[in-house]
Amino acid sequence: MTTPPIADILPTDTAELPKVLMLGWEFPPVINGGLGVACHDLCIALSKYSNVTMIIPKSNPDFVVKNLNLIGLNTIDAKTLRNVGYTDNYKKVKQVHFIDTHLNPYYNGNGSPINDLQDLNSKYLKKIQIGDETAEIFQIDDLYGGDVIEKVTVFGKLAAKLAMSLDFDIIHAHDWMTMIAGMEIKAKTGKPLVVHVHSLEVDRGGPHSKGWVYQVEKHGMEVADLLMPVSNFTGHIIHDYYQIPWSKIYPVHNGIRPVKPFKSEPMFKEKMVLFVGRLTRQKGPEYFVDIAEKVLQTDQNVRFVMAGTGEYFNPLLEKAAQKGIAHRFHLTGFLNLDKVRQLLSRADVYVMPSVSEPFGLSAVEAVQFGIPAVISKQSGVAEVLKGSLKFDYWDVHRAAGYILRLLHDDVLTEKIREDAYKDLDFISWDHSAKRVVDGYRSYRLLPAGV
Amino acid sequence: MPSVCFYFQVHQPFRLKRYSFFDIGKDHFYEDDEKNKLILDKVSEKCYIKTNRKMLELINRHKGKFKVSYSISGACLEQFENHRPDVLQSFIDLAKTGCVEFISETYYHSLSFIYSKDEFRRQVEMHKEKIKTYFDQTPKVFRNTELIYNNEIAAFVEKMGYKAILCEGVDRYLGKRSPNFLYQPAGTLKIKSFLKNYRLSDDIAFRFSDRGWTEWPLHADTFASWVHKVAGNGEVVNLFMDYETFGEHQWEETGIFDFLDHLPKEILSHPDFDFKTISEAADQYKVRDIYDVPDYTSWADAERDLSAWLSNPMEKEAAARIYKLEENVKKTGNPDLMDVWGKMQTSDHFYYMCTKFWSDGDVHKYFSPYDSPYDAYIYYMNVLADFETTVEDALKDSKGAKKTIRKKEPSI
Repeated sequence: MTTPPIADILPTDTAELPKVLMLGWEFPPVINGGLGVACHDLCIALSKYSNVTMIIPKSNPDFVVKNLNLIGLNTIDAKTLRNVGYTDNYKKVKQVHFIDTHLNPYYNGNGSPINDLQDLNSKYLKKIQIGDETAEIFQIDDLYGGDVIEKVTVFGKLAAKLAMSLDFDIIHAHDWMTMIAGMEIKAKTGKPLVVHVHSLEVDRGGPHSKGWVYQVEKHGMEVADLLMPVSNFTGHIIHDYYQIPWSKIYPVHNGIRPVKPFKSEPMFKEKMVLFVGRLTRQKGPEYFVDIAEKVLQTDQNVRFVMAGTGEYFNPLLEKAAQKGIAHRFHLTGFLNLDKVRQLLSRADVYVMPSVSEPFGLSAVEAVQFGIPAVISKQSGVAEVLKGSLKFDYWDVHRAAGYILRLLHDDVLTEKIREDAYKDLDFISWDHSAKRVVDGYRSYRLLPAGV
Repeated sequence: MPSVCFYFQVHQPFRLKRYSFFDIGKDHFYEDDEKNKLILDKVSEKCYIKTNRKMLELINRHKGKFKVSYSISGACLEQFENHRPDVLQSFIDLAKTGCVEFISETYYHSLSFIYSKDEFRRQVEMHKEKIKTYFDQTPKVFRNTELIYNNEIAAFVEKMGYKAILCEGVDRYLGKRSPNFLYQPAGTLKIKSFLKNYRLSDDIAFRFSDRGWTEWPLHADTFASWVHKVAGNGEVVNLFMDYETFGEHQWEETGIFDFLDHLPKEILSHPDFDFKTISEAADQYKVRDIYDVPDYTSWADAERDLSAWLSNPMEKEAAARIYKLEENVKKTGNPDLMDVWGKMQTSDHFYYMCTKFWSDGDVHKYFSPYDSPYDAYIYYMNVLADFETTVEDALKDSKGAKKTIRKKEPSI
């Protein structure tokens, strides 16, 4: 499965293609999580079926994505924003209660939105010298640090201004960070708004989340014309926890970037069971410790490795020690992609005990490396990986039984590996992109003739 | 004068419970008693009781002109004995009419012919005994599990004394010939093959309630008119199907019982047509040609081969492992171990492990008590691991098994 060079797959005449204004938050080289990767890869694939213009808070001028009109708010001259009016759609959201969302790993600030564009300009726009030109740049370094509410609001205002000078048929936003921008642009231009849902406050903070972010999400999804959650699982959350009617929920499963898997020599004589992910409530890392304990009671020749970091790091360390399994339990801390792949090239079983996982690309990455995956049913990826063993995240007994069976049964391991490879044929960004455009069309969101 | 030959398969497996890796060595009771009883009750109410009542009524109404044949697996008969003697009695009542024939099969509804001829013979004999006990008949007709068939099986059961054998009418071997005649299996002398007319059989068994089917809703007179078309171009119309078609696969609400109620009358409205049991038809009609089936065929799935049970490595591994135990289990001489071993041979266990996801997977899923084919395999292999140890222990103990394996679970 290799992707042909972008140039080869481009239609020569793109006049009839839909013009999509994409609103991104994370994008290379600023990537904090899976959202950036998913956004980037979807856009690339989508550019085969549409003309994509993307607005993101920050982009490196050196980072050029072929066939993608990439506009970072930090690279534009503020003059282009002048004399364009703006609505105050975000104020609707502002009026809801402010509750600290301490459970949200992405957001810990408690600032208040600001109203005056001049203040924003002085705070976020900075003059720099590029050759002979003076340009003003939008200065956001850490997308989730500091006052993220302010940043999201500023992004919304500036993106809306910018959008007035652009030509597009449809607005495609991603998650709550760009929903305000999406609503602003929709209000000003009347263009339909599609919101791609990669992750929700209910996933991150639990079913009782009701903070500012939740309110933004709820309002944004109500305003949107169509929602594209990354799985049916997330579609259910949108319906059940945000009371959005099914009629505008249209799931689009994520794709995956093809990789060249490789195998490495084992690091130790025991078998390796691997977890990769942020160590946060959402990923269910403490269940991994319970599973490990259960497996080790029966079979001591197994090591459990957790790659990732997060606020559960220390508690997990303590929990493993308390259970007396620390000698078989390893927390690596944060690992870059190369190091993660080093682990994938050695692992015998992959476990994803997520409590609420909109998709779960990491499990697909494990499958690419030929590792049988034991995954929670509370995940989107469970819908597309037939070749996997599935358990309810709390059912530690069942997960442990699966792992033991896999470790002792080559026939099963090989069979699941084979079936999962077949699943990979159906998990691609090209499939996702096609479905996105089909969604635009079947919901009649595009102008006639497009 | 063509004859309509109805044959119904009655079978329920002993399903295994969700036997975890952690149960190995600790829990020696494998069956999901609760689920087996639940399903047996459900199917008894929806199908067996109602359909048997209807059959008895039809036989009486038509004064012996309506005849049918059954094969009831030993595994199913045992479950009737244990939980539904009323159902068993209703079959006995049918047997007493003289219009019902009972057919031989392997006691455990197993794939034994493929793995062990000795075991196959043992199970067929066991089943024959059981049929004799309950229905006072000595079967003369054989049908193998899920109509699994080839020349070799036909020749083998001919030597065991059977005069007829049932099989699927598979296009790739039948060619342009009609299934509506009796055939001579290649390499045999006397035994006759009855080929399922899958078009007409499946009209009832599968398509009856399909609202997308152009013939929906199907009425008995229409169906009878299709059967009557065979006049002049056939001698038997073999309508073979699962008995659970009536009331279970096709719910009562679909009108299946009304259909059944009218069918004999409509068929008999043509003076040339009658109903016969398989044995009667075998006596009446001559074979018209050779049916040469070198490879295994069956009535399952689109492929009509063994792929419903033995196409993936899990199924093959599980089957190979259970038959590998034959020598040791038989050496123990322990009837309880023999019984557990037999029940684990039931073809359904392998059917649940099938991973032909994108075509027939849905049907397999419908019947499976488990979440996935992997689960089916995992529970089976966990059970097998425990059973292997039990057999080994039994062999070490000269007196036989140390522990009674079939002890029921304590009720809480």
